[in-house]
Amino acid sequence: MKVKVYGADLTAWVAAASLAKAGNDVLIEGPETQLKKPLQDISALRDEPGLLDQIQLQMEVGRLKRTGAEECETDIHWLALEHNEFQGAQQIIRGLEQAVPQNLLIINQCNFGVGATEQLQSILNEDANQVVVYIPNNLQEGKALQGFSQPKRITIGSDNNWAITMTRSLIRPFLQNIEHLLLMSSREAEFTKLAITGMLAIRIGYINELANLADQMDVDIDTIREGMGADPRIGSHYLAPGCGFGGQNFNQNIARFSDIFEKRGQNSLLKTVISENETQKELLFKKLWQHYQCDLTNKTIAVWGASFKPGTASIDNAPSLKIIDALLAQGVTVKVHDPEALSNLQKYYTDEPSIHFCNNPYDAITAADALLVVTEWPEYWSPDYEKLLQEMRMPLIIDGRNIFDREALEMYGFTYIGVGR
Amino acid sequence: MTIDQSPAWLALKRHADEVRDTHLKDMFAEDAHRFEKFSFSAAHCLADFAKQRITNDTLQQLIKLAEQQELPQKIEALFTGELVNTSENRPALHTALRQPKETPLILQGVDISEEIHSSLEQMEALVEQIHNGQWRGYDGSPIKTVVNIGVGGSDLGPLMTCRALNLFTTDEIRDIELHFVSSMDGSQLARLLNQIDPASTLFIVSSKSFSTIDTLANSNTAREWLVNASGLPVELISQHHFIGVTASPAKASEWGIPEKNQLHFWDWTGGRYSMWSAIGMAIALQTGNANFRRLLAGAHDMDTHFRSAPLTENLPVLLAMVGIWNINFLNIHAHAILPYDGRLQHLPAYLEQLEMESNGKSVTLKGEKLNYATCPILWGELGPNAQHAFYQLLHQGTESVMCDFIAPALRYQEHGDELKAQHQLALANCLAQSRLLALGDSVLEDAVNAPSHKRYRGNQPSTTIMIDELTPESFGALIAMYEHKVYVQSVIWEINPFDQWGVELGKQVATSLLDQLANPSAATTDSSTAGLIRFVQQQRQEDKS
Repeated sequence: MKVKVYGADLTAWVAAASLAKAGNDVLIEGPETQLKKPLQDISALRDEPGLLDQIQLQMEVGRLKRTGAEECETDIHWLALEHNEFQGAQQIIRGLEQAVPQNLLIINQCNFGVGATEQLQSILNEDANQVVVYIPNNLQEGKALQGFSQPKRITIGSDNNWAITMTRSLIRPFLQNIEHLLLMSSREAEFTKLAITGMLAIRIGYINELANLADQMDVDIDTIREGMGADPRIGSHYLAPGCGFGGQNFNQNIARFSDIFEKRGQNSLLKTVISENETQKELLFKKLWQHYQCDLTNKTIAVWGASFKPGTASIDNAPSLKIIDALLAQGVTVKVHDPEALSNLQKYYTDEPSIHFCNNPYDAITAADALLVVTEWPEYWSPDYEKLLQEMRMPLIIDGRNIFDREALEMYGFTYIGVGR
Repeated sequence: MTIDQSPAWLALKRHADEVRDTHLKDMFAEDAHRFEKFSFSAAHCLADFAKQRITNDTLQQLIKLAEQQELPQKIEALFTGELVNTSENRPALHTALRQPKETPLILQGVDISEEIHSSLEQMEALVEQIHNGQWRGYDGSPIKTVVNIGVGGSDLGPLMTCRALNLFTTDEIRDIELHFVSSMDGSQLARLLNQIDPASTLFIVSSKSFSTIDTLANSNTAREWLVNASGLPVELISQHHFIGVTASPAKASEWGIPEKNQLHFWDWTGGRYSMWSAIGMAIALQTGNANFRRLLAGAHDMDTHFRSAPLTENLPVLLAMVGIWNINFLNIHAHAILPYDGRLQHLPAYLEQLEMESNGKSVTLKGEKLNYATCPILWGELGPNAQHAFYQLLHQGTESVMCDFIAPALRYQEHGDELKAQHQLALANCLAQSRLLALGDSVLEDAVNAPSHKRYRGNQPSTTIMIDELTPESFGALIAMYEHKVYVQSVIWEINPFDQWGVELGKQVATSLLDQLANPSAATTDSSTAGLIRFVQQQRQEDKS
């Protein structure tokens, strides 16, 4: 099939690459500014493992092409715009309403909020099979390609039989591992999308709150969460305490859902979760501050991990930023390592002489007064402890993701501070 | 020759005999252009003296009195740092605090302009650190609550200004919850400490001498609360939860505040003239550094006007001289401050200190007892609320009272019609009250036939001060205008407005009574005080048993 994808960020490129890989002829229409950029300069592509390669491959075989805003004979249009580009979406659809008078399928994957798909539909003539279908964007940064081509669940938000049939056939290649294929109205699907995101945030917020309490009550949060997870009503997903969640989509969605509550005059649990999460991001700094009795003068601090989670180079809303800001404000020398996010971090902290970007994790810990583990990259889980002991000025490890074993570390001679234990 | 024997004074006395019996309503009836003649504006402020019991002659003669007292030279003396505070042998340079950085001012060989601005910049850096969330409490939390501990000038100015400018803030500013604590009995502090989180609370201890017992008592209580909450040593708490604003760095250091957390001002800044210095840190915390600078700029506009405008159209001078007329020639000894804008709620308390602590004196600069009236009793309240309280006395009591009505012309420009209508309502009331006070029930037709208890005699003089809009600039100008008014009156009365010896002895007596309260058998006071001490003692014993 011929598909045109609209958008410039990760979601759009993942959709375009995956649809092309499945055999479709795909055009991706981005803004003029992006069109001129070489692919490797687009950070959304660079930061996502495997994506750039897949795009280049699909372009070589000719199934994926970049284009500007020009007319084309396509019947299937895939909107993957940013949440604040609703007007842009309306404009695209008004154009298509004229250009494709019947049998026009538009897949809306944008997080415009509840009721947005209905608003877009109102521009079109449903009787002539001009239909907008909502498919929620379940993109997980770091696992985006796999998430698109082998999802466990897909929701199709539409009431129109023709459109549902068309959509099914378009996404058929991706249904091999499917466990749930849900059909509901676009409005309900939009609401569900936000509701899921909110629920996950609340779980993380709650386990973090428990961890902070556990810190003061001499219990180990790891044991507690194992006990909680064993209860089938709860399960163990999204119950890892840590120093706060980040990422662009997740945070944006929660914030916008919380706004909806507030606009309707309801106090939002999510609002508390968001503000507590911001506090949680400073947790490692606070633990360090307390350890050194409120005095970080002339200290050198190593930071392992800057991306908001492992497997991505993205530092959007990452806890590392708040920690580094706090350290720099105290005049601390910061030495940071991250396997992928260093160049993004370097762009974020330009002209900041007190921060050193280290390509090797052991460069970061040389003469350090503490090591803060902020992102749980796999390579951090089993470091060379002897080397750490030798090279660090003070053998203090503050573990923001609870990846180390306290007893083992203390046996080696480290001072270990985790989250909630 | 004392001033009350001077030609200009005697001429005014004679003039007063002519004017005294003319009712304001007749003055208005005779002259339809009083507003044009008697209203003046400068630096965002308009002052209308038309409802004062004055004629063209009055103003001319008052200006002669000011000239006789060499007012222009005295104004220059104030600005150039002469030792206008004679009893303490120092200048009073609050005007220098709001002078632009580029203007040097040499005092005993030192450019104090540079010192002033470096202190301001240090304050701004601390404010920024707090706004950025990078001032950390003992557990590493960013500061969310700031408590200003101070009393008198270290409390009233910042408190008044924070309330007045509460709408002025900039987007970058994190919301800081701001509190003011002053009372020595600890009642404000005790309530507050129950509501706030110790780890994210910072205290600003504002005290010029850093020995004010009220402030230190509150600060010690606050520090003890933090030590108990944190379990950390007192030194650590003093370093991370206190900023000291003072002219006595050694005393602040002794109390435990490290030098880097001290902001300094100088002995040439009187406490009640100090909100333009680092004492105003609370203002900058609430409104942002830029708005604090706007406040200074507004005050500087008024300074420039005061220093350069001819006496005949000089706002602070006219405000002062009309006051002199009322006090010394019409024998009015009560002055009400009546703002018609809720944001100016604390202005009356501020002016009570500014005027009464400055000019509540009865000895001349030469140390002689004077025999004419000086500062009247000054009090006030938000006008609309006072209408339901003491306006009865203004309209129908036996005392003559002069009033200052204060209001912004514009408000709620960016809001809906309902709020605009509320401002109109307040303005209508402001104008109605001053009109009624001046003209009495002559504003009605048929009033003469009303029963006596429904009559309004009128002839109560008032000044209406309007600012264009309440902004940092206009507010700065308004306060500077009153400061200069106070100075002008002191020049006429030949008194020192910059000392306050009358508040000293009470502190000493209190210290000695503190011992006697603890040990009543040693009491050696008058029988009344001794009796009261015994009463307290009895209550304590009954409470124990």
